[in-house]
Amino acid sequence: MVSAAMATLLRGFLRPLCAFRGSPGSSTGVPLRAVSHGAGLLYPEHIPTSPLQKVLLAAGSAGMALYDPYRHDMVAVLGETTGHRTLKVLRDQMKKDPEGAQILLERPRISLSTLDMGKLRGLPEGSFGCAYLRFLDVNRVSPDTRAPTRFVDDEELAYVIQRYREIHDMLHTLLGMPTNILGEIVVKWFEAVQTGLPMCVLSALFGPIQLSTQSLQLLISELIPWAVENGRRAPCVLNVYYERRWEQPLQALRQELGITEPPLRVEGLV
Amino acid sequence: MMCQAECRHYLQFSFQLPDVYQVFESVAKKYDVMNDMMSLGIHRVWKDLLLWKMRPFPGTQLLDVAGGTGDIAFRFLNYVQAQHQRKQKKQLRAQQNLSWEEIARKYQNEEDSLGGSRVMVCDINKEMLKIGKQKAHAQGYKAGLAWILGDAEELPFDDDKFDVYTIAFGIRNVTHIDQALQEAHRVLKPGGRFLCLEFSQVNNPLVSRLYDVYSFQVIPVLGEVIAGDWKSYQYLVESIRQFPSQEEFKEMIEDAGFQKVTYENLTSGIVAIHSGFKL
Repeated sequence: MVSAAMATLLRGFLRPLCAFRGSPGSSTGVPLRAVSHGAGLLYPEHIPTSPLQKVLLAAGSAGMALYDPYRHDMVAVLGETTGHRTLKVLRDQMKKDPEGAQILLERPRISLSTLDMGKLRGLPEGSFGCAYLRFLDVNRVSPDTRAPTRFVDDEELAYVIQRYREIHDMLHTLLGMPTNILGEIVVKWFEAVQTGLPMCVLSALFGPIQLSTQSLQLLISELIPWAVENGRRAPCVLNVYYERRWEQPLQALRQELGITEPPLRVEGLV
Repeated sequence: MMCQAECRHYLQFSFQLPDVYQVFESVAKKYDVMNDMMSLGIHRVWKDLLLWKMRPFPGTQLLDVAGGTGDIAFRFLNYVQAQHQRKQKKQLRAQQNLSWEEIARKYQNEEDSLGGSRVMVCDINKEMLKIGKQKAHAQGYKAGLAWILGDAEELPFDDDKFDVYTIAFGIRNVTHIDQALQEAHRVLKPGGRFLCLEFSQVNNPLVSRLYDVYSFQVIPVLGEVIAGDWKSYQYLVESIRQFPSQEEFKEMIEDAGFQKVTYENLTSGIVAIHSGFKL
């Protein structure tokens, strides 16, 4: 069965191989087989990859992410190379929901250039926008650190995964989780239940390896059950047009999504 | 024929042709690691073979162009130092009736440990030179070594200066290869030798197939995973395919005025060493 899979993979890459390769050393003046300057690209950052390359990338990025936890780009690559089927499901879910469909149509992006920081700062205490801003300040993060999608071979799905990445900070705000390792793992569990993306599942399962026993205990006994329960209860978080809800009180938004208060404070823990 | 060689560089890249300078600026730090990963360490053997072919004698003035991180220069220094030490040992054994002054002088090591050999490493890229200097410092190479920022197409040296000119895995990144070859001819002394270690055309169809798969499927992935840089390594494998074949390159070297031009294939032609003399 493994050899049959390998055979399919081999056949799969031999064909695109012809596109990449020019015939070497021809000095006869016959134009070499030109790989199009951008015509194969579905979106500006797109890098087309063969099935074999995707497998190698998935394996390599998984290994490197475990070996060097600071390689966030590897986690992103893992998500892109393993998420195709799941992204389709998510995209279809978004299409069925009115707010989600609008997001797919308008394709809002979250970055310092698209966010109206002045307006956000003027928002009342207790609003979602105010809480989000406070989260960014306290944890010293910026919405501009998300790498662009490269290895997804469908431009709409590329947006879906980009959107998933960009709302990550919003989920932190809604769940009340800081950006330390424990907080990130809790958010990953929530995301894993919500999206089903293989990368989220892998991170959720392997992330806890680096935790202390005490944190691990708290994670397993309290935080994971809470995250899973909320993940199940909440509607698809990709269907929320966050940019239109800055003024909405945080508590109201939480209630709407069925998200309860975290069972304990995670700030001081590691 | 010349135009085709030049024009080749502007065709057939799968994305916007990157600035070569920028490519090497971004790969500089991981250059050595990536070389090991991509060639599975074999690049070390290739470079060793280049030195063995060179067989420098004490007093050789070497110019290593595109020598960036110093691999050839360090090997050269090791070689001439080992050679010089062997020569000294032989001399000591032969001279049994030395006076006390002569013995004292030998022990004081007033002699140049390299026997007058010198290597100049010339590279167009500051980042690569920086890495080379750091390596030299870390590995203790000081004497007989100089680092020069320069362009292979317009070398900052006088005519007839060097005994040997080497360029290892550098000439395919030069925009006008013929100019680099002419410059090489210019700065070499009469009797001087040109040596080029470069990727070439594979002569075995099975090896060629495997090599293609490995180059196009695996190497960009390695670049992404290890160095976080897919595009530079995609550029690398594509630039290798663009380079002229062994025979074509031989003709180009002859056109620049070199004589007795020969080449030797290594690893089924994945790499070739071209050699020529200025006579």
